[in-house]
Amino acid sequence: MCKECGCGQTNGNTRLQFQVNGYAEENVHEVEKALLGMPGVMYVHIHADEGATTIDYNPAKTKLMEIMNVFASRGLEAAL
Amino acid sequence: MEIQVMQDILGKNDEVAAENQALFAAKKVFALNLLGSPGAGKTTLLEKTMAALKDELRMAVIEGDLFTTKDADRIARYGVPVIQINTSGGCHLDAPMVQSVLPRLDLDALDLVVIENVGNLVCPAEFNIGEDEKAVVLSITEGDDKPLKYPLIFKESAVVVLNKVDILPYTNFNLEAATEDIATIHPGAMVLPVSSTTEEGLFAWYQWLRQAVQKKREGYSE
Repeated sequence: MCKECGCGQTNGNTRLQFQVNGYAEENVHEVEKALLGMPGVMYVHIHADEGATTIDYNPAKTKLMEIMNVFASRGLEAAL
Repeated sequence: MEIQVMQDILGKNDEVAAENQALFAAKKVFALNLLGSPGAGKTTLLEKTMAALKDELRMAVIEGDLFTTKDADRIARYGVPVIQINTSGGCHLDAPMVQSVLPRLDLDALDLVVIENVGNLVCPAEFNIGEDEKAVVLSITEGDDKPLKYPLIFKESAVVVLNKVDILPYTNFNLEAATEDIATIHPGAMVLPVSSTTEEGLFAWYQWLRQAVQKKREGYSE
């Protein structure tokens, strides 16, 4: 939904904040790219030092488990 | 226990979009929803496309604008059927608007309908109008940060036309970074650097259209 003019359908986007342990300099950008490439994922912000990871996504297009798998497959521990 | 339905999942717009899509499918007409900011060069790209392909593909254009018929007047010079939809201030086309004008087109005599949406990088991406594909035009003058700032329109579009590359040397637009950002948010999207003015790169755009039309004729969409 366009929040500027109010038009559009409610697209159901949700903002989640994960605490992720295990980020390293070499994998932060790769994780960000992997997340942004998923359907319905509109925004990703990673604070590598603290592990705070913010994701704006549409749960109808990408399941939470699929997001968790992005972390897990890279040896990262993520918690909401 | 009564269950209250708070939102119709398949909203009215999507219902009508499905009807439009079924009509395009029945007629084997490829429908393209052309998106982009005001001034990105959508109409100029269309003008070049009409000039290059009008003897090869049977085309029509639906022009969406807030007001005026300026763009439709430009397209009409190429001798292709063109219909203007004025949204009277509305920031996007929706499926019922498109459906309302389709009876004015002889779809049996067409291969391709291009629907040039209202110039806007946000709202038009929210509305399915029954198209087979969306394509977005981003011009060099808009800046290379737009794909990440307006992700939905780039996620939705099968093709991203990077227009006005002839002025790249005079700007700080980073073509490589923009291309990488588009590939990040939409892996598989086709990125076509072009100049509608000098016609650089337009052959690839024409080829994409030709192939899309051919696939639609053969009975399956992109």
